[in-house]
Amino acid sequence: MKIFKADFDCPPWFSSSAKKLIKRILDPNPLTRITVAEIIENEWFKKGYIPPRFERADVSLDDVDAIFNESRDSRNLVEQCEEGSAVPATMNAFELISTSQGLNLSSLFEKQMGLVKRETRFTSKCPANEIISKIEKTAMPMGFGVKKNNYKMKLLGEKTGRKGHLAVTTEIFQVAPSLFMVELRKSEGDTLEFHKFYNNLSTGLKDIVWTTTDRGKVEEKDGDPFVPNSPKSAFTPKSENSLKNSSKALICITEAIVPKEATSEQQKAKGRMHTKCL
Amino acid sequence: MGCFHSKVTRQHPGYEDPVTLASQTAFSVSEVEALFELFKSISSSVVDDGLISKEEFQLALFKNRKKENIFANRIFDLFDAKKKGIIDFGDFVRALNVFHPNASQEDKIDFTFKLYDMDGTGFIERHEVKQMLIALLCESEMKLADETIEAILDKTFLEADINQDGKIDISEWQNFVSRNPSLLKIMTLPYLRYALPIS
Repeated sequence: MKIFKADFDCPPWFSSSAKKLIKRILDPNPLTRITVAEIIENEWFKKGYIPPRFERADVSLDDVDAIFNESRDSRNLVEQCEEGSAVPATMNAFELISTSQGLNLSSLFEKQMGLVKRETRFTSKCPANEIISKIEKTAMPMGFGVKKNNYKMKLLGEKTGRKGHLAVTTEIFQVAPSLFMVELRKSEGDTLEFHKFYNNLSTGLKDIVWTTTDRGKVEEKDGDPFVPNSPKSAFTPKSENSLKNSSKALICITEAIVPKEATSEQQKAKGRMHTKCL
Repeated sequence: MGCFHSKVTRQHPGYEDPVTLASQTAFSVSEVEALFELFKSISSSVVDDGLISKEEFQLALFKNRKKENIFANRIFDLFDAKKKGIIDFGDFVRALNVFHPNASQEDKIDFTFKLYDMDGTGFIERHEVKQMLIALLCESEMKLADETIEAILDKTFLEADINQDGKIDISEWQNFVSRNPSLLKIMTLPYLRYALPIS
């Protein structure tokens, strides 16, 4: 074959420096052939060359091993989480209020530009370290490395996607004594992949999710599986004016979690839930 | 100017010259022009009159024109500077100016104070915060006991209400926000600087 003898011709419009470089690359003799390091130093090659930026997955193998090592019991996992820090940051009333869809003006741009949300949230009544461990256990088989820092976690996708590796930051806040809000934000990578990732993740987190505000999907779906089993109508304010004008306490609610199979008739029969939202 | 300008003014009452608007705000002329494309799309979604109605605003925000939300109402009211019940292009640009990444922290803090001071008394009162918190919990379908809600309010007011008079004034608010900068997260739209489409 001609190439084994370096019997080739370059098109006439190739510059002489390009031709010289190609000749040295297509050298059939591996001992005299140019090396990659030399190519990078070549004058013609260096013109206009932007070195690639390799993202480092900042995953601590210790954390990875700890999860997979079955000789460790869950008590040790809990200790690992509590080491090095206190408690999840508390969310004050205004921070909670800020999570309202009505205050998220980026939606005005998202529809017009085909953008999708980079952030999503859900609440959980499980203890914070259980939430962490559940997220970890669900994310890792999906091909994500987990790095923990107090109640903040970084999930790093091992596969390269459309815009590099997907990186998701998770943060847990305390809303009330046994209520936590979990925020997931895409920090790197493609937003659509983030959506796909979150859809898969939430399936695995079903057991710990109490409510989710994730209605900001690109396609509006009916029958969101994560809506708590309670009559929706009880919670939709009929009109903002009645809320505005009412000065009395509006809600009298028990904290009992509705059993998954309960229907609204069962709830009424049990008489344990009284909800009123004007 | 000339033909194009008067045609546009006829179709869009409240249309203002992009150069003027750019000079009054943090936006460049091309950013104002891009905002106009967005404005046109929102303001024509229900009634094509060159003005954004409450319904059109709700449609743009929630993809549901009937969705009522007290926070969206507050935002709408603050955008509707002339108190006409509609938002024209000038209102739109001047209001979004506060959300620009380059707008001053002071303006953003002022905006949030007015946002949460629902009845405009110059104070954010505890009952207002309770109302807003309850509305948020309804919206997110979170059911909490009244005591839990009160506990959240207690903690918040302990931190924010320095003179413990049951309400937050502007200087207490400024202080509170400086200790909790995440409260201003809603006040910056990075899209305004980088991602506006040109036509």
